[in-house]
Amino acid sequence: MGGQLLLPDELLVMLNEKWSCREQQLRQLHALVSYNKIDTVQPKLRALAASPSTLVAYGPCATGKSRVVEAYLESHVTNRECITGRHLLERTVAAVTASLWNDKPGADQDNAYNVRCENIAALVAHLQQLLKSHDKFVLVFDGVDKQRESPPTLLPALARLGEYVPGLTTILIVQHPPPRFLHQTGVPYIHFPAYTRAQSVHILSQLPPDIFLDLPTDGTDYDAEVHAEDKAWLWPRYCAAIWDSLAQNAARDLVSFRAICIKLWRPFVAPILAGDFGTRDISRLLVAQRRLFQDETVLPDSIIASPTLAPPASQGQDKQSTPSSIHELPYYAKYLLLAAYLASFNLAKTDALYFMKSTERKRRKKGGVTARSGGRASQKRQVPRHLLGAAAFTLDRVLSILHAILPHDLRGTVDVYTLVATLTSLKLLVRGGGLGAGDALEAGGKWRVGTAVSWEYVQGLAGSVNFSLQYHVAE
Amino acid sequence: MEYEKVYVFKPEAERPAKRRRVEPQGLQTSWQRRRQAFDQVWSVQQQAIDARLDSINSHTVDKVWQFLEQATRDGPPGRIPTGIILTGADGATGSGISKQIAERIRVGKDRRSLLSLSSSSGTNLKALLKTLILKATSRRTGSSDEDGVDDEDDELRTSRSIGPKLLNYDLQLLQDHVREHRTEQVVITFEDTEAFDSDLLSEIIELLGCWQARIPFACLFNIATSIDFLQQRLSQAAVKALAGQVFDVALSSVEVEQVCEAMFDTGKPLWIGSGLMSTMLERQHDYVISVDSFVATMKYACMSHFYANALSVFLEPDAESRDVAADHVEAVRQLDSFKTYARRLLDDHQVAVLEELLESDTALRLLVRDKVAEGRQKLSAMVQTLKVIRLVQQRLPNTPVSSMSSLYVQAMSGKLIGSPLIRSLLLTHRKTPSNIVVDLLRELMSSHTEKGTPTFSGCQELLTRLDGLIESQKHSAKPLRSEDDSQNTTLRTTVVAQKVQLSKQKSALSEQDKKYTELLGILTSGIEEIFDNNLVNPNDLVFHEIFVYDLKAPYREVFTPRPRHAIERALATPHDYLDCDCCGSGQGDEHVEATLAATQPATAVLYQLYLESGSLINASDLWQAFQAVLGDGREELEIMALFQRALAELRYLGMMKSTRTRVDHVAKVMWQGL
Repeated sequence: MGGQLLLPDELLVMLNEKWSCREQQLRQLHALVSYNKIDTVQPKLRALAASPSTLVAYGPCATGKSRVVEAYLESHVTNRECITGRHLLERTVAAVTASLWNDKPGADQDNAYNVRCENIAALVAHLQQLLKSHDKFVLVFDGVDKQRESPPTLLPALARLGEYVPGLTTILIVQHPPPRFLHQTGVPYIHFPAYTRAQSVHILSQLPPDIFLDLPTDGTDYDAEVHAEDKAWLWPRYCAAIWDSLAQNAARDLVSFRAICIKLWRPFVAPILAGDFGTRDISRLLVAQRRLFQDETVLPDSIIASPTLAPPASQGQDKQSTPSSIHELPYYAKYLLLAAYLASFNLAKTDALYFMKSTERKRRKKGGVTARSGGRASQKRQVPRHLLGAAAFTLDRVLSILHAILPHDLRGTVDVYTLVATLTSLKLLVRGGGLGAGDALEAGGKWRVGTAVSWEYVQGLAGSVNFSLQYHVAE
Repeated sequence: MEYEKVYVFKPEAERPAKRRRVEPQGLQTSWQRRRQAFDQVWSVQQQAIDARLDSINSHTVDKVWQFLEQATRDGPPGRIPTGIILTGADGATGSGISKQIAERIRVGKDRRSLLSLSSSSGTNLKALLKTLILKATSRRTGSSDEDGVDDEDDELRTSRSIGPKLLNYDLQLLQDHVREHRTEQVVITFEDTEAFDSDLLSEIIELLGCWQARIPFACLFNIATSIDFLQQRLSQAAVKALAGQVFDVALSSVEVEQVCEAMFDTGKPLWIGSGLMSTMLERQHDYVISVDSFVATMKYACMSHFYANALSVFLEPDAESRDVAADHVEAVRQLDSFKTYARRLLDDHQVAVLEELLESDTALRLLVRDKVAEGRQKLSAMVQTLKVIRLVQQRLPNTPVSSMSSLYVQAMSGKLIGSPLIRSLLLTHRKTPSNIVVDLLRELMSSHTEKGTPTFSGCQELLTRLDGLIESQKHSAKPLRSEDDSQNTTLRTTVVAQKVQLSKQKSALSEQDKKYTELLGILTSGIEEIFDNNLVNPNDLVFHEIFVYDLKAPYREVFTPRPRHAIERALATPHDYLDCDCCGSGQGDEHVEATLAATQPATAVLYQLYLESGSLINASDLWQAFQAVLGDGREELEIMALFQRALAELRYLGMMKSTRTRVDHVAKVMWQGL
C-alpha cells in the first residue's frame, strides 16, 4: 500500500510502452509525484520537489488506474479486501512497515512494529513515528470509495494525512468522485478516461491468441512464423468487428471486451480450422459467421460456461452429465407457493370473489370491474397488479387460500408450518412488510413471495398439479 | 462435631437396597428382553440403510472429487472453481455429499481442507470470515470447540510469529496457515446457499475471488432451487469470480425407495403394515422431508412395536431357547387371529388339538414359534415375488414399472392378489414375441439363483424347448409371434347391404408360431403360479399381530402433531380438558362448546367472544360482552383483572394485536381451523 519513490526518468519511457494509450496520465503522475535523482542523493541540501499532499486518480472501471499507478510507483496496491474501516487502518500500518523493511533488507525484524491502530488519530501517530526519517513517501489507497463500513470521516481524514505527516503523499484511486468529497480544495485530479475503439483494439491486438491450437505438421510450409503473422493480422480485425457489433453497446470496458473476444474466438475460427476459408479471408469469414455477432446471449456472465461455446472436449462430458432428473418440489409445497403467489398478487378484498366455493359460478360471471368500465377509460390510471412487486400477506390469509384451492381437505399438521419455514429458508417465501418483520414469532407477521416465484414459474407449478391458475388470478 | 469445621459424610457401606415396588409384573417382565431384541434388530437394519444411502450418491461424490482434483492441477485463472450440487428442496443429501468428501479428505494424503459455512455461521461478512478462519486454523490443533464467535470481539491474533498482528477476520491469517501447512486447496462448502443473504453471499464470493491468487480456494454450493436463481441473486462481479460445474444428486424419491428396499432385504423379523407404510410414503411425497426423517419414522415404528407390544418377545432371534412367561402365552390366546384359527380348527373337527392349545402353554408356545416363523417366511417370499413382478414389468414393452414401495403397500394390504395390475400383466405377457420372452425367462432364472426370487417348476426345460424352437427359426429375422398378439389379427371391413361389418381375421400362423404360443402359455401359467403361491394376505396369517405392525396413531401423534388445532380446541371446549362438574352437566354433550358460562376460564370465554367478532374488535364492546358473561356476583374490578389477563394471554398466543388504524380496537390475527 505504500512505497518509497525511486524513480529513474527512463522508467517513464518503459512504462509508456507497457501501458499504451495512457501516456498523458503517466506524464501527469510523473509531474506530480516524482523527484530527481539528485534529490535522493542529497535530500537535505535541496528543497524537495513539491508534491501535493493528496492526489486523486479517477475514472471508470477497467481503465488502468490501479495498474498504472502501481507500475509507476512499483508498490503494491490493495484496498477492497479490507472488511472494516479499522481493518483498513491496520493494513495501512502493516503495508508501510513492510515497505520500509523491503528497503532495508538487513533490518532487524525482531523489533517489528507490532501495534494496534484503532482509529485515524492512531494512524496519524503511527505514520509520524514510522516516517520520521523519510522525506518522501507515497501511500496509495485503491478503490477507497468502495470501502466497507467506513466511517464518514475516513476520506477527508485520509486526504489530510499529508498535512500532519511531512513528506507523505496520499493517492486515492476512486471511480466516480462526487464533487467536494474530500472537503478540501486544490486537490489535483488525474482523469483516466475510458478507452476508445482504436485504443481498445490496439491494446487487445498486442496479444493475439492462436488460430491453430496445434500447427499442421503434414509437411506444408505453414510454420510458426507464418502462423504468428496470420493471427496478428486476423485478430485485430476480428476485435474491431466485435466492438462494432456487440461491445460498443454492451461491453465498453476493456475487461469485458476482452472476455467476449476470447469467448467467441474459437467458434469464429472454426471454419478456418475446418479448411473452408483461408486465414486472410476475413470478409467472407465475417459474413459466414455473422450469426456469432448477432447473438447477444454471450453478453451476460454466467457461472456455468455455456455449453455451445465450450471446447469440444468438455462438450462430450456435458452430454453424459445432463441432469436426467429434476428435483421437484413436493405436492403441498407447490400448492403453498401457488397460494402465496395468489395472496401476493390478488387484492385481499377480492378474495371472497375468487376463493369462496359456494358462490363460485355466480360471482365469476359478474366478473371484476372490467365489465362496468365500458368504453371510457377511468380517470385514475391503474398499473396492472402483476407488473408491481409482490405484496405482503399474513400467514392466515395464505393458509386460507391454500385450503380453498386444494382439491381435497388438508389436515393442518405441523408439517404445513415446517413447509413455510423451509420455503422461507429457500427464499421462495420472504419475510417482510409490516411491523416486526424480523421476528418470526410476532403475531400477524407478514410474508411475500420471493423474486424467483415469477408468473412463468407459478404457471409451471400450476401445470404440474393440474390447477387452473387463470381462474384465480385477478387481472 | 463442634471441633470440626466441616462434616464429611462417609457412607458406611453400599446404599441400602430399596424394596422396589415397581418391580415389573405381568407382561412388563419381558421388557428388557424386548429392548435387547429391538437393539439387535435395528442395528442390522440401520447398517443396511446406511450402506444403501452411502452408495447411492457415490457416483456424484466421485465426480465432485475429480473436479476438485482437476481444479488443483489446472483451475481457471482468476476464477474460483465451483461445484454446484443440485440437491432438491430437502437439502439433507447435499450435506451428506460434503460429509463424504470431508471423509475422503481426512483419509486421503493430499493436502486439502474442507470448511463448511451455513447461513447461521454469521449474519455479516466479518462474522462469516471469523468462522471461516477459526474453522480452518483450529482443524490441525484439534481444538474444535469454538467458543461463540462474537461480533464485537476484535481481538488481534497473536499466533503469527513474525510480522504485525492481524485482526481475526483478516484472510491473511488463512493465507499464512495455508502456506505453513502447504495446503493445496481450501474447499468451502455453502450448506444452504439459498438461506444466505444475497448481498452477503456476493460480498464473500468477491472477497474470495480477490484472494484466489494467494489462497487456492474452491467452492461447493448446495442448491435447492436452480442455478438461474442463484445467478440472479449474486452481483455481477461475484458471478464473474465463479467458474462452475453442475452436479446432480439422487432424487429424494429414489432415496426413499432405497431405504425401503434395504428394509425389505434384511431378514427382518418385523414387517410394517400397509396402512402405516402408505401414510409414511404419502407424507414423504407431500412435504419437504429429508430421508433421515423417513428412517427415523421407520425406527420409531419398530421401536413402538417392541416396546409396547409384549408379544413381540416372540420375535427374539433366539426366542425358543428361553422360556416366555405364562402371561404372554395367555395374551396370545386373546389375539383375534388366534381366535380365527381356533374357529377353523373347530370347523375341521380338530377339537383335541385346540383343546391342547388352550390347556397347555408349551404346545401354544411351540405353535407360536412355528407359525411366526412360517408367517415371516411367507412375507419375505411375497417381497421376493414383488421383485419378480418388477422384473416382468421391466421386460415387457409398454408397461410402466411400479415402484417397490407402492407394490409393497398393495401386497401388504392383500389387494395385489388378482388385482388388475397382475391380470393386465399376464395378458400382456401372453402377447409378447419370442425375443423378449426368452430374455425374460433367462433373467427370471438368473435372479432365482442369485437373489433367491421364487420360480416355478420346469423352468429349465421350458427354456431348452424355447431355445430349440428359436434355433429352428433362425433363418428369419423376425421373432416368433404369439397367437394372441393383436398384430396377427387384422380387422376386415365389409359392406353388406349398406351396413359396415367388422370382422377379425387371424393372419396365417406358421407351425412354429403355434408351438411358441403353446410354450408361452406354459410360461404364463408358470408366472401365474408364482404369484398365486406367494402372494398372501398378511391379515389371514395366524399371529400376524406379532410380526406385522400397522398402527397409525402413534406415528401421527409423534410426527405430525397439530399444535394450533390443539390450542384452539382447548380454548373452545375447556370442559373436555378440565372435566369439571360446573360446565359440563345439564347439557347435551355435543353442544357444550357453543355455550358460554361464567364458570369457564376467563381466557376461554374471551376466546369464544373473539371467534364471534370480525377482523377488528372494539375493545370496549369486548369488555362489555365479557362483563355480561362473567357479571353475576363479582366485583367489577375483579372482572376487569380477569379480562385484562385473558386479553394478555390471547395476545401472547399470537391471536390478536393492537392496531394503528384504530386505537381503541384490537386486530384479529388468527382464524379458527387453519
